Amino acid sequence: MAMVSAVPSGSRSNQIRRPGATDQQSQASIPSRIVLAMQGVTKSYPNGREALHGVDLTVPEGDFVFLVGPSGAGKSTVIKLLIRDELPTRGVVLLDGRDLGRLKRREVPKIRRKIGIVFQDFKLLPNKTVRDNVGFALEVTGARRRDIEPAVDRVLRVVGLTGQADQLPGQLSGGEQQRTAIARALVHNPRLFIADEPTGNLDPLISWEIIQLLLRINELGVTVLMATHNAEVVTAVRKRVVALENGRVVRDELGAAYHRED
Amino acid sequence: MFAFVAFSLRRAWQGFWRNGLMSLAATLTMVLMLVLLSGLIILLTGLNATLDFVQQEVQVVAYLKDSANQQDISGLEISLQGMAQVTQVDFVSKDQAMKDFLARHPDEAEVINSLPTNPLPASLQINLRDPNDYLDVATYLKSQPTVDRVLNIKQTVDQMVTVIGILRAGGTAILVVVGLIVLFIIVNTIRLAVVARADEIEIMRLVGASDAFIRWPFIFEGALVGLLGAVITIGLLFVGQGPITGFLSDYFRVLPVEASATVGQNIALIVLGTGVGVGVLGSYLSVRSYLIR
Repeated sequence: MAMVSAVPSGSRSNQIRRPGATDQQSQASIPSRIVLAMQGVTKSYPNGREALHGVDLTVPEGDFVFLVGPSGAGKSTVIKLLIRDELPTRGVVLLDGRDLGRLKRREVPKIRRKIGIVFQDFKLLPNKTVRDNVGFALEVTGARRRDIEPAVDRVLRVVGLTGQADQLPGQLSGGEQQRTAIARALVHNPRLFIADEPTGNLDPLISWEIIQLLLRINELGVTVLMATHNAEVVTAVRKRVVALENGRVVRDELGAAYHRED
Repeated sequence: MFAFVAFSLRRAWQGFWRNGLMSLAATLTMVLMLVLLSGLIILLTGLNATLDFVQQEVQVVAYLKDSANQQDISGLEISLQGMAQVTQVDFVSKDQAMKDFLARHPDEAEVINSLPTNPLPASLQINLRDPNDYLDVATYLKSQPTVDRVLNIKQTVDQMVTVIGILRAGGTAILVVVGLIVLFIIVNTIRLAVVARADEIEIMRLVGASDAFIRWPFIFEGALVGLLGAVITIGLLFVGQGPITGFLSDYFRVLPVEASATVGQNIALIVLGTGVGVGVLGSYLSVRSYLIR
């Protein structure tokens, strides 16, 4: 099956990407790997509600994708499928080449280590320092203790929190808390970084800082998928935009604005 | 493997102290329930000891003919002692019977003294191993020429056997019911402690911790709650040993000293086993509901 190839970061081209269509643009000489692929994914919940219907989505390595759409459009369901909190009713979800629907129970944690995820509400442990919150992700996945500290220091440098390493989340601003969560999500060197409404609890200025950080992480080679309502940010950054409405992909556009511009 | 166990133990220890209030609540519930449980066990042990004692006290009394000579009586005594159902045979002479009577009814002394002869018969008092054997021994005694008559206590014995049986069954039933209630309450308290840390479990799942890494710290923590609760309970029982023993000997009259040492040991083991077991079970069940999703 023909897959799309990499889209250069910062591309301002405006072509529509239709599900399943090949991408004619290929500045990268080496064909990139596909980090994430959803093929004909339908998700119905036991109450009969169909949250997703025939969704196709392909994200090559190094991409930065905004997942937009009104509440209830299916963004959360996409994320739940990606972290295998839910299984698709029909269709296939591939993450780094693995079919999430066919994973054995004990393989699920290993797949989750390939994903870094942050949420609107940060989900930090209030009684652990920044360093310990980040180290926690390694600790509970069986990392050796001597490997934890250098890895934590590295990601704290990336998010710029080296100076706050020994503070508790309660002592931090909202932006710093989100950066702590980002550091924790990065510490496993994820193949895919998912940000679920990461700026939802932050004021505009801090939101921009977080976006800048996510863009920087993307430049470091991490594939980013960000679900958001923040039209201003999406429009200003001009990245790939995948819009969901009523459980369907209604737009998949490179270098796009939050709203359809044509 | 060692690293995993060390990790789990360290996390259990941290979890216990960082959620001090919930841990305290769980531990105190555990202590309360274990004290209740051991109190009940002590009570039932006392009751059982009393019942055993009462059973031993069941005596068959055979009144002897005045004509019986000493040789015949001794022969009968020996043959009775040879019976498997019999634990002890005591001979009460006519004089002894009179003395016992006067001791019980001092007011009657005048009447008794006015009698020309001693009207009270000599008797054999036979202790039984099991009151149910009463009939065997009584039948045997009735067939003996030296025996005048056998005191008919059949009805009394039957009633007592029934009552003791009911008391034993009732005690065991209460113990089982209270045990189940204790289990339920402790499991739920530990569940609360786990629910209070649902965030932590969620984060662990999100960052890709395996089920074992999520489960075992909680199980060790449950064991810790159980262990601590058991140790406190045993401490309380040890401190209360004097009053408890006093209570037992006052209300139940009997509790052999050597038995109380074993009873203490048994209760300590039961308390420890129940505490740790229920702590582990509670944690396992509580965490399981988060893992199966």
